[in-house]
Amino acid sequence: MSTGKEFAPPDATPPQADPIAHARDLVDYAASLDCIHCGLCISSCPTYRISGRESASPRGRIHLMRAAAESRVEADADFAEEMDYCLVCRNCESVCPAGVQFGRMMELTRDGLESRRQRKLSARLARWLGFRIVLPSRLALRLVGTLTRLMQVTGLARMFAPALGAAGRALQSLPALPPARERALLPARNRGLRNTGDSDARPALFMLEGCAQPELFGHVNRSTVDALCAAGHDVHVARAVCCGALHAHNGELDQARQLARIYVQEWVRSCAAEGAELIPITNASGCGAHLREYGELLAGDAQCGADAARFSALVRDWSELLSPRIADGSLKLTAPTNVSGPVAWDDPCHLCHGQGVREDPRVLLKAIPGLEQVELHDSESCCGSAGIYSLLRPADGAAILAPKLETLANSGARTLVTSNPGCQMQWLAGIRSKGMDVRVVHLAELVQPTQRT
Amino acid sequence: MDAALIAALRNVLGEAGLVGSGSRLVPYESDGLAMLRHTPEMVLLPRTTAEAAHSMRLLAEAGVPVVGRGAGTGLSGGATPVEGGVVISLARMRDVLEVDPAGRLARVQAGVVNADLTRAAAPHGLFYAPDPSSQMACTIGGNVAENSGGPHCFMHGSTTRHILGLVIVCADGEVLDLSEPQPDPSGYDLIGSFVGSEGTLGLVTEVTVKLTRVPPVTETLLAVFPGLDGACDSVSDMIAARLEPSALEILDRLTIQAVEASVFAAGYPKTAEAVLLVELEGSALEVDVTSKDVLAILEQRGAIELRKARDPLERRKLWAGRKGAFGAMGRIAPDLYVADAVVPRTKLRRMVARTAEICRERNLRLATVFHAGDGNLHPNICYDRRDLDEVKRVLEAGRMILQECIAAGGSLTGEHGVGLEKLEGMDMLFKQADLATMCRMRDAWDPERRMNPGKLLPVRACREVRTNPLPGVEARDAAAGAES
Ligand SMILES: Cc1cc2nc3c(=O)[nH]c(=O)nc-3n(C[C@H](O)[C@H](O)[C@H](O)COP(=O)(O)OP(=O)(O)OC[C@H]3O[C@@H](n4cnc5c(N)ncnc54)[C@H](O)[C@@H]3O)c2cc1C
Ligand code: SF4
Ligand code: SF4
Repeated sequence: MSTGKEFAPPDATPPQADPIAHARDLVDYAASLDCIHCGLCISSCPTYRISGRESASPRGRIHLMRAAAESRVEADADFAEEMDYCLVCRNCESVCPAGVQFGRMMELTRDGLESRRQRKLSARLARWLGFRIVLPSRLALRLVGTLTRLMQVTGLARMFAPALGAAGRALQSLPALPPARERALLPARNRGLRNTGDSDARPALFMLEGCAQPELFGHVNRSTVDALCAAGHDVHVARAVCCGALHAHNGELDQARQLARIYVQEWVRSCAAEGAELIPITNASGCGAHLREYGELLAGDAQCGADAARFSALVRDWSELLSPRIADGSLKLTAPTNVSGPVAWDDPCHLCHGQGVREDPRVLLKAIPGLEQVELHDSESCCGSAGIYSLLRPADGAAILAPKLETLANSGARTLVTSNPGCQMQWLAGIRSKGMDVRVVHLAELVQPTQRT
Repeated sequence: MDAALIAALRNVLGEAGLVGSGSRLVPYESDGLAMLRHTPEMVLLPRTTAEAAHSMRLLAEAGVPVVGRGAGTGLSGGATPVEGGVVISLARMRDVLEVDPAGRLARVQAGVVNADLTRAAAPHGLFYAPDPSSQMACTIGGNVAENSGGPHCFMHGSTTRHILGLVIVCADGEVLDLSEPQPDPSGYDLIGSFVGSEGTLGLVTEVTVKLTRVPPVTETLLAVFPGLDGACDSVSDMIAARLEPSALEILDRLTIQAVEASVFAAGYPKTAEAVLLVELEGSALEVDVTSKDVLAILEQRGAIELRKARDPLERRKLWAGRKGAFGAMGRIAPDLYVADAVVPRTKLRRMVARTAEICRERNLRLATVFHAGDGNLHPNICYDRRDLDEVKRVLEAGRMILQECIAAGGSLTGEHGVGLEKLEGMDMLFKQADLATMCRMRDAWDPERRMNPGKLLPVRACREVRTNPLPGVEARDAAAGAES
């Protein structure tokens, strides 16, 4: 073995007692040591595939984090840019043989960067408004929803968008909001059908409506609840609004913890009232993946920590409740679908990479009578929505989607199915910009009408 | 680095094609062998052969050393940057230019990922046969440079047997187009000599590869053994009986445990001391006949459990376990040193035992996987790079293993290349005259020795080759001389 004098010797243990103290809030150093630098993840990373930059790959980002903790690089503008460029799609986790927990590492790094950042007053105000005021409040969300609809209906949105800069672009990228009646919230309790002998055995569920979903795609929530009720589940709808996933991914960990606490506490109260352990479910993949992390997020919380861990262990995607029933024959989708033409399923990142759910949606789709399915070879690759990424970095978001639009066009699919509101919006915008004739729907919208009750 | 040169390069490559300074350079400091590192002066990301050639000309004029880089999955420090040098990365050259099913070939840019090439060929019932375990990430250019192998190369042969043409950007920026496939080239076989040259002769920008027909039937068998010996002996028996499996892979106990704890859990029994993966390819009849003979040998050598993959999904899972083995080891140790030893197949069993002994004596944890069919073993030694004493013991063990291999009539590297890591091994294996000849060949391509300097050939600053052959080598060469 010859190292040659120009090469650094193997890292020595740095002499100070806690050499990385300066970066504790920026880098999860222990987790970074799990990476063995094999590079197996890099070609699956959308930002590396586009840029070709090692520093925009998972291995490169971990390398940078580690080097920052070891004081070998500054957490400077270049560093921050590569971290911001990441989609937190967690594709890298799915392929990493060493089990590196990239998503969690990135949450800490984003949080650390945010607290070091000197943002302009206007930007700080916008973040404060978005993260602290609007997302956690149903009232504020309703207000924004109603105003947006008003602007869309009157054409003001199109008129003013160019003058509004980033906000204008965001406004224009929104799909047409449905009228108020379709944006109505769900009833707090929805009783399951009791038409089979063993239907009492179906566990009762605790569902999150989410922050944006009711405003943008209210009918998706309705379809989901109807589908679950028709399968014999009671569904309790939580009053909590936002799960905090967007906060956690964008450097607002404290607020994310606060929202998690609110949600877990409501769940505990509801379980007590019902005298049963309600199963937390969601139909939005981004929320689902984050709910499964509550245990870790609140690990140090004396009051809520244990409940959060129990809660996280129970979280399911809604499709996971129905697919085993299809498999064992206790649930049948009998009415033929009204969808014509081939249908393609696109795995939301936080469903396949974040929650490891890949088969259940496919089982449901396969069970729909008369549905013609095509596979997309890159269905597990991010569409570029990535929470609010496509709003913050529209050009990058579109570049990430571009190759997938091509796959979609080549597949001949006439309907694209996904299960996350952000992905739905991103696909809608992309398909519109290309002038393609493809519908975008949530899985529940396809499944529910085929259940004959 | 000279500002005028940077400006000129930026002009050629555009803003996104050049990483000129700052923290973005740091992740390029090493390849898969993280213990060796050096930050490059600059990284260039050309998109076309023309851009690469133009950049290379500018660098030649300025006398700047160049290190080619694919995905940086190499394990011998081949892509580690050098003092005062720039890295040319092929990461943005990932177009599949042509798939020609009738000609059974494909033409790709050298940055195309190995697995993407196979995916592009799949609709035609074809695949690219060399399948390094890193195939989901490593590039065809890197494969060419390392003459990479993989589990199925036992039957299909390593990279060099699948390369039909190359486009090479030479050290002075000249483009050498050898892409027209020639079944029998007149003159010297330039392609043959380029494959495996580890980036020291030039930069490959396009590759024409042979595609192989997907066999009608593939069968994957998993045999579980109570000890490594039974697995090794089965392999020897199969080869002695002239059976031709397409792949023969052995995993030992620690590896099995690591794999089963990872995302690549393949369902290997966690208590097994060794598993042997055997794959058979061919017509239904061929596979059926061979399979019977193979099973008989496995049973006779004491396999305690035999499994046949029932469907493609199960087969993929069994292989995912093997291919993810190295990474999965990351779960049981902070760092991993992958040795790449190759011995004549008949010595495999002894070599395995010696490796275990060497590590035991140094109190090192060892997990071994091997391409048993090729006599190529990868002892993976666990360590923590922060423990300096352990690092020392690992390097010592690596050296001992190399010496044992050479003494057993083997070679320095099965497939990971010499790079920086095994320079000293070259001294041990070759005599002065051998190395001098290699240097002359190299100088014919790159007289200024600007391409990946200091790799592959142990050359001192004064350009004199240093050697230090082992006693065994001198004796072997003397004997060979006496014979001839
Ligand atoms: C988990 C894991 C498993 C592996 N399994 C195997 C295996 O089964 N078989 C095997 O053979 N190897 C294996 N390897 C080693 C490695 O993947 C191979 O050597 C691979 O071919 C390297 O390709 P790369 O694109 O990553 O090249 P890099 O690591 O980037 O470069 C390797 C060498 O090639 C040179 N090079 C790269 N591109 C070019 C180019 N375009 N022109 C000229 N020179 C170039 C570089 O200078 C360097 O010397 C494994 C590695 C890992 C991490
Ligand atoms: S696959 Fe995992 S261990 Fe390998 S480089 Fe990527 S993050 Fe690190
Ligand atoms: S989370 Fe996605 S974008 Fe970020 S490093 Fe991993 S694969 Fe790349």
